[in-house]
Amino acid sequence: MEVPEELEIRQKFPNWYDWIKPIRLEDIKHGIASYIALPKQINSDFFKMPFGDVERDVFSEDWKLPENWKEIFLDAFRETLDKNRAFKLFLDICVRCGACGDKCHYYLGTGDPKNMPVMRAEVIRTVYRYYFTKFGRLFGKFGGARPVDENVIKEWYYYLYQCTLCRRCGLFCPYGIDNAEIIWWARRILQRIGLHQRFMCISIEASARTGNHLGLYPGGMVGSLEMACDELKDITGFDLYAWVNKKGADALFVPPSGDYFAVPHWYTFLGYIVLLNELENRYGITVTWSTYASEGGNFGTFHSYEAAQLLNSKIYKEAKRLGVKFIIGGECGHMWRDKHQFINTMNVPPDHDEWKRFWEDPDLGQISDKLRGIRLDEFISGESGWIHVLEFVAALIHYKKLDVDKSRNDHWRATLHDPCNLARGVGMLDEQRFVLRSVMNHFYEMPEHTIREKTYCCAAGGVYLGDEMMELRVRGCLPRMMALRYVVKKYGVNIMLTPCAIDRAQFPHMLEYWKIPAEIGGICEMVGNAIVLRSFGEKPEDRKYDMRGTPIREEE
Amino acid sequence: MGMIEYFFGFVLPYIALAIFIVGVIYRIVEWARSPIPLNIVITAGQKKSFSFLKRNIHDKIDDPMSNLGVIVRMFFEVFLMRSLFRNTRFYYDKMTNVDTRWLWFFTMAFHYSLLIILIRHLRFFTNPVPDLVKMIDWMDGMLKFWVPPIYVTGILVLVSLAFLWGRRIVLSRERCISLPSDHFALFLFAVILITGTLMRYFFKIDIPSVKTLALGLVTFTPPPYEVLKNIHWLFYVHITFVSILIAYIPFSKLMHFAGIFLSPTRNMANSTRVKRHVNPWDPNPEWPILVREGITVAGVTYKSKKVDWDTYYEMYKDQLDEVAEKGYKIGGG
Repeated sequence: MEVPEELEIRQKFPNWYDWIKPIRLEDIKHGIASYIALPKQINSDFFKMPFGDVERDVFSEDWKLPENWKEIFLDAFRETLDKNRAFKLFLDICVRCGACGDKCHYYLGTGDPKNMPVMRAEVIRTVYRYYFTKFGRLFGKFGGARPVDENVIKEWYYYLYQCTLCRRCGLFCPYGIDNAEIIWWARRILQRIGLHQRFMCISIEASARTGNHLGLYPGGMVGSLEMACDELKDITGFDLYAWVNKKGADALFVPPSGDYFAVPHWYTFLGYIVLLNELENRYGITVTWSTYASEGGNFGTFHSYEAAQLLNSKIYKEAKRLGVKFIIGGECGHMWRDKHQFINTMNVPPDHDEWKRFWEDPDLGQISDKLRGIRLDEFISGESGWIHVLEFVAALIHYKKLDVDKSRNDHWRATLHDPCNLARGVGMLDEQRFVLRSVMNHFYEMPEHTIREKTYCCAAGGVYLGDEMMELRVRGCLPRMMALRYVVKKYGVNIMLTPCAIDRAQFPHMLEYWKIPAEIGGICEMVGNAIVLRSFGEKPEDRKYDMRGTPIREEE
Repeated sequence: MGMIEYFFGFVLPYIALAIFIVGVIYRIVEWARSPIPLNIVITAGQKKSFSFLKRNIHDKIDDPMSNLGVIVRMFFEVFLMRSLFRNTRFYYDKMTNVDTRWLWFFTMAFHYSLLIILIRHLRFFTNPVPDLVKMIDWMDGMLKFWVPPIYVTGILVLVSLAFLWGRRIVLSRERCISLPSDHFALFLFAVILITGTLMRYFFKIDIPSVKTLALGLVTFTPPPYEVLKNIHWLFYVHITFVSILIAYIPFSKLMHFAGIFLSPTRNMANSTRVKRHVNPWDPNPEWPILVREGITVAGVTYKSKKVDWDTYYEMYKDQLDEVAEKGYKIGGG
């Protein structure tokens, strides 16, 4: 999908009696609309959804809805209201103060009034009022209510899939109305009549089948790790390795699967391996990867409760099978909302002996005497068992358990993009800053309204990495790109680091479009550069290349 | 003719109050009946981490880890509108966000003025008037250049109402998102506040008669008709619109006063990695819903295939055996 060189943001402000009319077919735009999932994704044995056996085209007149779709739709609506207090409450209490309006990156980028979070929710609320409130039924249009018809369904689909569930609006809402929650559960209603977004379903189906979104078979994943070890031999000069499916390891390592292949994720992937090798050879902490639970990311968290549960159920099962003590998660945004808030609700945490014994006294001294004092129970318990790799690295660096050489990153001047879910779903803000300040000398923050809990979404999270919505991605990325441009000009920043795999997939395209001279990377890439592999006999000055294979120091 | 005065002055307020009480309870029970499947707290600060990562006071307020922390957060949310205080405005010309606290200021002014006005009104409903009410009344009426003294809140509430309504009319984005019901709520407030102001400063209202009626309402004793007859018609407009407003609350967005206390993004602790949140309709999920029972729509059940380790192993046996042959070790020279 080609995006025009010049984009115009035309803000339109129709009155309520205009926008309450649903959109027409010609309003569904190429470059913005997501394709509807195909039977091979949603009628698969591994991911079977109602009415998934029909091929549907988002740009066609006829969406081939099931015969009694209205009944099914309203039943699903009622069920959702009964199953989720937040959904019901948030539909009721919005006062339309407009505080969320210009907080949405998609609204800022498109100017489409229905992309204001309040209006995107209003697309749903108008239908809710008609069927589930007395005043809505009584006053109809004047009560802000409308009955559902096929065009309304199209409008739902079109706008529900222009939200990345980043929850920036929910931060600013005086009642804490989380529009992401409304959108997420409304998507679930659409799924009951066969409408799913294609891009996320490709990955969900693949993950249900193979264990990761990319659909990598065990051989593919192993090949990837082999290649990484080969490359690290050239970079570090040492024979590094990785464990896969190893029973009796101390910890399970679960990264987002983008890290196995894509660039620039790859350099982060190399960073993980460097870190894990130093951990094992210096402290005897064995960390294994798994082919069965090879995906930390969870596109189900953008689809529905049930799909999210289908995907994240494998990880605890694998932790139990391998008999690990705890789980380390890689750098990913939405994955961490899933691992922090969802996984131990959607699944029963493991209860095998090794796990239980460790979490009775979760001191890393149990594994290695030299790590005594690093206690995971300062903020984690065995009811979750997950630790973020950067939390882990922050502790190791703070307690001086890793030797780092900051000067190896001197060729980078970095800034940090906070992934939305990590900031607003987990509350992890300072760990990555602590790590970055410890492993590099040049680190600069972007403007304060675009970082930390106020961070802007990359406009591709949840899940807009498809080519067909490239214009939407480019437009939604505008606020972030402007913030980046500011630090590039002011501080000469040449890399934006982000602990999120979707960001790393999205930003390179965006930098190209917005013509910003910078690179994208992960934080473990910088960690990998800086770690002195002391257990392998490395000295700080030994390392000649960084994870990208470029020389660290200029030849004198 | 006495019937009309009795209806608007003595009957309608009871009807409205009854609708209000029953309606509000009904709505809250309706909300509370639905479970909270997931912990969806929005964290607005650094979470608790290893002890060397210190959290400042903002982090502790905005990212509570305990129930006590939640109470503190809700206090700031309800009484100080902390989230609205965060508000910014995006300017396209400079591509930057700027802190804008006008909305916060006038919202605070509006709500607190209403609260104080409500407390001041207690002097009609109590006999003798409590000292606290008297004191608030005296403090509020500091501007003594008019007879009777001018209430600060009386001015503030009108100014903030004008701001809050004005932005819905003047600003294009706010005009766009405003529904008739939004204007209706503001209209009710406008009528109530303006008639109240007129009665205090410009029209002669027989205060003792109003007080007799108000006390009659509290004690369920209808006042004699002479008392009702003495009261200016503006008062009947005032009390009628108050009744409409009270009765309208349970059916409208004005329920936000109760809803905020139930808002799961604010009233939950960010403690999921310490304590498991249990989903009431899926409390003990040994296997995911999709493979356990599937989704049933229109009588047909759609079930996904269960991929446990054994199934997975069967599917990719050769490749997994190869990993085992390598001793589960990849690389290493």
